[in-house]
Amino acid sequence: MSKLADALANLDEDEVRRLVREKIDAGVDPMAIVVECRKGMDIVGERYKSKDYFLSELIISGEMFKEAMAVVEPMLKAGMQSEPISKMVLATAKGDIHNIGKDIVGTLLTAAGFEVHDLGIDVAPGIIVEKLVETGAPILGMSGLLTPSFESMKETVEAVEAAGLRGRVKVIVGGGIVTERVGKYVGADAFTNDASEGVDICRRFAKEAK
Amino acid sequence: MIKETMTSKERVEAAINLERYDRVPVAPLMDVMFPSRYKGMTVAHGISHWKEGFQAIVDIFDEVGGWDAMILPGYSLALTPRVASGVTAALGSGDYRFPGQDPGVSEYSQPQYVERERLTVEDYDEIINLGWSGFAEKHRERFTFFSPDQIIAWTQRQTEHYTRERETWDARGIPSLCGAIVQSPLMFLSTKRSLTAFTMDLHRIPDKVEAAMDAMVDGFIEGAIEAAGLTGIPGVFLVLERGGGFYYPLRIFERFEFPYMKKMTEAFAAEGLLTVMHFDQDWTLNLPYLRELPRKMCVVELDSTTDIFKAKEILGDHMCIAGDVPASLSSIGTPEEMEAYCRKLIDIVGKDTGFILSSGCTVPADAKFENFKAMIDTAKSYLPAN
Repeated sequence: MSKLADALANLDEDEVRRLVREKIDAGVDPMAIVVECRKGMDIVGERYKSKDYFLSELIISGEMFKEAMAVVEPMLKAGMQSEPISKMVLATAKGDIHNIGKDIVGTLLTAAGFEVHDLGIDVAPGIIVEKLVETGAPILGMSGLLTPSFESMKETVEAVEAAGLRGRVKVIVGGGIVTERVGKYVGADAFTNDASEGVDICRRFAKEAK
Repeated sequence: MIKETMTSKERVEAAINLERYDRVPVAPLMDVMFPSRYKGMTVAHGISHWKEGFQAIVDIFDEVGGWDAMILPGYSLALTPRVASGVTAALGSGDYRFPGQDPGVSEYSQPQYVERERLTVEDYDEIINLGWSGFAEKHRERFTFFSPDQIIAWTQRQTEHYTRERETWDARGIPSLCGAIVQSPLMFLSTKRSLTAFTMDLHRIPDKVEAAMDAMVDGFIEGAIEAAGLTGIPGVFLVLERGGGFYYPLRIFERFEFPYMKKMTEAFAAEGLLTVMHFDQDWTLNLPYLRELPRKMCVVELDSTTDIFKAKEILGDHMCIAGDVPASLSSIGTPEEMEAYCRKLIDIVGKDTGFILSSGCTVPADAKFENFKAMIDTAKSYLPAN
């Protein structure tokens, strides 16, 4: 494992900042720095699965990844970005304005190599369908913290169906009170209230879409 | 229906004191949202019209033939008549988006909390120096545009309403369990700094966060004790979510949450006050620690994400457990599913004593009446299997 991946996995903010700067100054390919940071995030994910890390470590590493990318990304020349694992559309369902869970998952998905189109909070079904059409994304992730979001998620899945996209779009729903019952009720392909598991499910969906 | 040999008050007290009851008591965590909708009002109307909103709760109580206790007597706030107390409440309520008033929140929805950094990382130093009350008074204008006189008048009005809510239930023979509402320092700081910023604070400046918590906790305790005295209900509703195993490893809980929970519950118990610990999210990992809290002076109230059966195993001989009908079961389940869920709780968690059947968190605004009634009826009609 590289020192940078190791420092990120160990949540050592100062060391990550130092190593990123050192590599940039030494003329290291910025894309290689991105790859090392992603490797660090993968290790964080493994430690989370083995229960050595908690949601807090996912949050801290996500913030560290974002900070590193803010330095590295401007140096990536056009066309240097790696091919994303998959595109996906992310939103908090209509009638719900909570964003914390969605934002954490969005950061982790980006770090895992997804091209995330985050539509924000309180997003109407029509807007979600439009974005799925525009991007061709094969995955839709919807978040909700309150029970009224269940109806909105259901309406959105129905709208995706009505637009003829359901055959190519997998739907995952999540949030504090989302359960298996809710997943079935809204017509989703998967549910979770675990951010890291959500990333794994999206990885599986991306593989299936190829 | 089961032949009852106890009053509601006796039944609830038996559950809390871990003594045998004639049946499992039932006490939903009820606010104005579901009753307003059910009575044909918008939630927006119910929230902003105290008399009508509170009456909707009373009407629904009468319509289902009653239940055994109000965990909180209604939906007013129990506040001490001080500027700091009003500012603290405003700092929470100021970040709510209200039904019918704010974008994204329909008039039938519940208020929704928008979490953002209301406190800055620089504020820790001043909190450490001034304590929370001193800080809140000094920076009042950052958090509310009301004058000190207006704030105090508002806190007094809230407490008057709270007391009248309690009296309404007293007249029906129904105990209200909590006369004050307070958060742990961790919960308070996490929601006012925002989850991500606060998590980074714990990572970057743990000593400073701890010092701020030390400076805050006594004020929180004193305020809660005083509010409980004013409302005349010997209990405190302690709101907890962020410090548990869903978010943080035990080393964080052990340093930044548990010592304050312990200090608060012990201080309340010393004053004869019960603590109802309102646990949102999954605290299964943290349950063994709760055995160190005052025995029979706490209720652990769960929302269905903590393993309630594990809670019974670990805490059954130490404190009463309340919960944990999932919000989704109330809103999109069926009465048959509700009955089956409640029967299982009664069989396992409710056997003999130490359990209050309740909603996991508040009854959601879009709960179905028939599901809600099924929860109440099951408690009244179903005895645990032998």
